[in-house]
Amino acid sequence: MTRFETSRFGHDDEDVVVIVGSGAGGGTLANELCRNGIKVVVLEAGPHLTGEDYVNDEWEAFGQMAWTDPRTASGSWRIAKDFPNLPAWIVKAVGGTTTHCAGACPRFKPHEFHARTTYGDLEGASLLDWPITLSELEPYYDRAEIKMGVSHRHGRPPLPANNNYKVFAGGAAELGYTKVSTGPYATNAEPYDGRPATVQDGFNFQGDKNGSKWSTLVAELPKAALTGNLDLRPDSHVAQILHDGRGRATGVLYTDRNGTLRRQRAAVVCVAGNSIETPRLLLLSASGLFPDGLANSSGQVGRNYMRHTTATAWGQFDKPVNMHRGETMAGVIADESRLDTDRGFTGGYYMETIALGPAFFAKFVAPGDWGPDLTAIVDGYRNTAGMWIIGEDMPQADNRITLSPDVTDAHGLPVADVHVDDHPNDVAMRRHGLGRGTAIYKAVGATRTIETPPYPSTHNLGTSRMSERPGDGVVDRYGRAHDVPNLFVSDGSQFTTGAAANPTLTIVALAVRQAEFIVRELNRTLV
Amino acid sequence: MSALLSAAAHRTLLAVLRRAYPHDTFPVGPYQRVVDAVLTAAAADPRLLAQLVQGLADLDRLRDLPFADLDADTAGAVLRSVQDTPFFRSVIDIAVVKLYDDHEVWDLLGYEGPSFDKGGYVDRGFADLDWLPEPQIEEASA
Ligand SMILES: Cc1cc2nc3c(=O)[nH]c(=O)nc-3n(C[C@H](O)[C@H](O)[C@H](O)COP(=O)(O)OP(=O)(O)OC[C@H]3O[C@@H](n4cnc5c(N)ncnc54)[C@H](O)[C@@H]3O)c2cc1C
Repeated sequence: MTRFETSRFGHDDEDVVVIVGSGAGGGTLANELCRNGIKVVVLEAGPHLTGEDYVNDEWEAFGQMAWTDPRTASGSWRIAKDFPNLPAWIVKAVGGTTTHCAGACPRFKPHEFHARTTYGDLEGASLLDWPITLSELEPYYDRAEIKMGVSHRHGRPPLPANNNYKVFAGGAAELGYTKVSTGPYATNAEPYDGRPATVQDGFNFQGDKNGSKWSTLVAELPKAALTGNLDLRPDSHVAQILHDGRGRATGVLYTDRNGTLRRQRAAVVCVAGNSIETPRLLLLSASGLFPDGLANSSGQVGRNYMRHTTATAWGQFDKPVNMHRGETMAGVIADESRLDTDRGFTGGYYMETIALGPAFFAKFVAPGDWGPDLTAIVDGYRNTAGMWIIGEDMPQADNRITLSPDVTDAHGLPVADVHVDDHPNDVAMRRHGLGRGTAIYKAVGATRTIETPPYPSTHNLGTSRMSERPGDGVVDRYGRAHDVPNLFVSDGSQFTTGAAANPTLTIVALAVRQAEFIVRELNRTLV
Repeated sequence: MSALLSAAAHRTLLAVLRRAYPHDTFPVGPYQRVVDAVLTAAAADPRLLAQLVQGLADLDRLRDLPFADLDADTAGAVLRSVQDTPFFRSVIDIAVVKLYDDHEVWDLLGYEGPSFDKGGYVDRGFADLDWLPEPQIEEASA
């Protein structure tokens, strides 16, 4: 895959749609709009790398692609202690975090759109029902799955079992789990959509050199470019959204690759910077008319930050596993994702295979530890199987993104502080998941099991949430800001609640649906 | 290399790394490369250099023998007594990344490293685990 070229539109072109960010939300939205004849300017803070640039090396790839501009972490979550300057693992490059995303693609369940009604009034939680239902989103889930070539769906075959999966599924069978499979997973088991079948290289957290995995870099953006309607500008960091006296968005200010501040005019602005940068940009865009930040009359911008309840369970055996060979996350146990409050918590969780190389394994398995206990674990690397636990975490009003009062980035802009306190429900779910995860490995003969606390958040959600009533959230059922009629939020920030599912499929489905709305309304309510 | 760190200090640093990350199978080479990485980082970071100058000298003064001559148990106890110092945390932060990013270490641990250039693992054992039965790959229909 080589770098694709795009059109060039003028900075004063007022009829373009500007999209901030080229990841799951932004890249998909761009393609859907371009295919419908709308001119789109995508401003992406990171560089335009391709498969040829990617490296099969965990730290080198992380340094090449991750968002390493400063951020701070606060609150009682373990991340604030273990990784105070790296609260999240997000990619800064064309394609956004879809380039590091493994591709696990479950849908939400019906009740997960009605979390407040289903779970009730949980103390400390700011639960709210989504303004949309699963049946409304279903057609878009279909389109998203077809786009992404999700395995097990729409005739796409399942991926074969790899070594890590054999241990995981073997233990799951011993425990009586039945919803055990190698997907749904957005990587080609056989050639699809002009992209080859996986070679099982084991590096999809590092960008997939083979291009077998769906990402906006290999699928959405090159298709958008072919329409002639896309102007993709990498190395372009948006610093502010501009508005007129009526409170309508008129464009953005961004720093280009030479450090020059530029203005791009726009008919519509869509923000898809992932759920830390999106609220940061809205807060940075405060003005006389919007003193608390753009689209923030509700005070909800940045609040209700969610990152899924996560943990990792490892099993070590007296025989080799070689988990590093093959697709990183092609394994799901869905039985615990059910609605069942008898387990001592509300919400469900998935278990998914995960594999790390020794570089990441040693760093993350027991953060900050050293000494013979750690090295004994690392010595067992070859014989290790791993799974990630990912479940619905409770939104809380004070789990939030704010602008740091004292740290700024290279552009002089205040950075995001990510504040999280675990909700007791999150703690109970994590404990349950680790209990089940380690039991799975013990059931197939693990001689040692290990429980690992959360990694820097790879799923970041909810900081500009959808709500029926403007006072409860930031955007409406289409992701349009309640306060600014031609401003959209187009990424996981829209999520009213997080559900148990990995978020990307839902982000893509929402982007397809939002694009339809923008196409329909562009010359009507959006002008 | 800074003249502020003597050969004895280098020797102490090497001993710290071997005691903090003991692996029976590892030769000295990977640890020596971590020493080099720490010293390179310190050359560009006066604060880290200062921590090393003081911290390594302190370690040699905590028992009757220099740190490098202590037995494993005593060395472990000494390191635990300093484990929350900025000096020790700085060394650990660099070491855990560098040591396990070392290709000789990867070989010793059974990790095969970059695979794309070799065609991935599709024909090189991605599914060669044979001590468990072949599992289902699709959800059992209810
Ligand atoms: C290792 C890893 C594995 C994952 N695995 C899975 C998985 O298996 N399944 C799943 O569903 N999800 C997975 N995810 C999560 C998934 O990648 C994200 O949920 C998804 O990419 C989020 O989409 P987004 O559009 O919100 O943001 P992103 O994809 O992160 O895109 C945001 C983009 O906006 C850019 N940007 C931000 N601010 C600005 C600005 N001010 N100006 C210009 N550009 C800006 C960023 O540089 C970035 O490129 C994984 C993530 C990681 C890190």
